[in-house]
Amino acid sequence: MIRPEYQVFANGEQGVTLVFQQPVSETLSGYIDALAQHCRRKLAGCGVEIIPAYQSLTLYSARLSSEELIRQVERLLTEAPCENRGQSRLIEIPVCYAPRFGPDVAEVCRYTGLSKEAVIRLHSQQEYLVHMLGFLPGFLYLGGVAPELACPRKSVPATNVAAGAVGIGGEQTGVYPVDSPGGWQIIGRTPLRLFAPEKDIPFLAAPMDRIRFCPISEEAFEQLLEQAP
Amino acid sequence: MTFIRAGLQTSVQDFGRPGYMHQGISHSGAMDSLAMRLANWLVGNKPRSAVIEVALVGPDIEFHRAMTIAASGADFELSLNGQPCYLNRSIRVVRGDRLTFGKLRRGCRAYLACSAELELHRYFGSVATHITAGFGGFSGRALRDGDRLETGTVHPEVNRELPTLFQLIYTGHYLLRCVPCVETHLFNQQQQQFFQNQRWQVSAQSNRMGVRLAGQALQHQQEDIRSSGLLPGSIQIPPSGLPVIAAVDGQTIGGYPRIASVIRADLPLLGQLKAGDTLSFNLVDIEQARGLYEKQQALLRQLEEIA
Repeated sequence: MIRPEYQVFANGEQGVTLVFQQPVSETLSGYIDALAQHCRRKLAGCGVEIIPAYQSLTLYSARLSSEELIRQVERLLTEAPCENRGQSRLIEIPVCYAPRFGPDVAEVCRYTGLSKEAVIRLHSQQEYLVHMLGFLPGFLYLGGVAPELACPRKSVPATNVAAGAVGIGGEQTGVYPVDSPGGWQIIGRTPLRLFAPEKDIPFLAAPMDRIRFCPISEEAFEQLLEQAP
Repeated sequence: MTFIRAGLQTSVQDFGRPGYMHQGISHSGAMDSLAMRLANWLVGNKPRSAVIEVALVGPDIEFHRAMTIAASGADFELSLNGQPCYLNRSIRVVRGDRLTFGKLRRGCRAYLACSAELELHRYFGSVATHITAGFGGFSGRALRDGDRLETGTVHPEVNRELPTLFQLIYTGHYLLRCVPCVETHLFNQQQQQFFQNQRWQVSAQSNRMGVRLAGQALQHQQEDIRSSGLLPGSIQIPPSGLPVIAAVDGQTIGGYPRIASVIRADLPLLGQLKAGDTLSFNLVDIEQARGLYEKQQALLRQLEEIA
């Protein structure tokens, strides 16, 4: 891939955001992931945050000025590999789409004009790419939502969304890893934990992994919940 | 120490856990890192040692061993065994002593440091309580009535009082200085003026994730922007037109346009904002922002050199 064009924006006093002039794609996310990893290796010791997103990479340093950070990043951009050579796994996430777990299914049906069954079918038949983690610990930003399923975020975010809640926000879908406020339309829930801080590997997936949602019954949900460590 | 009454949201905090935002882990740590640092100085701790963060309604604490303690930050009425004691100076306690946080006079959060180490598990290099995600600190949550926090090594006794220069007075009316953020250019001159001229009120819905503001909404055409890294202090404008300032437990990626970011020197003040306080914003240039931070840090280093 050819290195994508980018624009540099200040992100507060210590931060910089590179915005790439390309539509969201697996190739672009692969590039951003590879660039992020390269920057993380090279800038270790500068008190950095390196936060990839769909079409951007945000860098923050507690020690470098933003001008110095931009200089360093522009140098790293020319060195970083263009292709992502990381491993990609396929991870299945069981989801119960029962009404008690999907308070906003009706809103999604109303907006999209789809039946409830069609919403579930469209949501669970896709294979989603993990573009990045963020928002909350272990939250996965997934790409690949069927365009018919797209539904706007709530204008006023809900104050409490349960851990494991599966939602749709715009053209995105995802699982809330912990109880939290959130603006997405909730359509189901998984009994799996997406964030387990006590484990050696606290996260279920990493950028560039693939996710599939598998519909399960309420009974299966309860069983899996009991088994969850 | 035992929390006979825990208070509204009393939690263990430290400098937080920077470096993991790409996994969705916000920094956490003290909302007012400045007051935390001052409290630590008063008991002879390292600046980033773990402290107890107290918000709005404070706790009632019984100590099980002799140590030095000190509170800094929000102005709470304090008493030791029923006798008044004071903020911003070290206090010697012995086994059985009881420290009570009374009425909150000014500010929002106070920090209680003690010369004994708090024995807690470190997650991602920090003992800070991540209240939103439910991990770190004491059982991943704010303290509850009856919780007992174990302490380890006690450092040598010190007796200090905070110089007046460092004793901040929280008036309830604040000016936060800002610099541009990623989407600043999406707001026109008029909107940026409106943002700065308005006297915003701090909403009761504010917490460690974000400070929510109320007032006359900022009229803007909501563009569906692409999500990108959301750093503490970023001021987001959601469709409601009412700003939300990202705080230490905030999300790591944001989807709402950001009109500005609070400068580094003013970030600790976010920890002192409470419902009903009023707030204005003022855009400054980056050199000015940096100068203010450097001045603040130089003063702190000067203080910390006093052994």
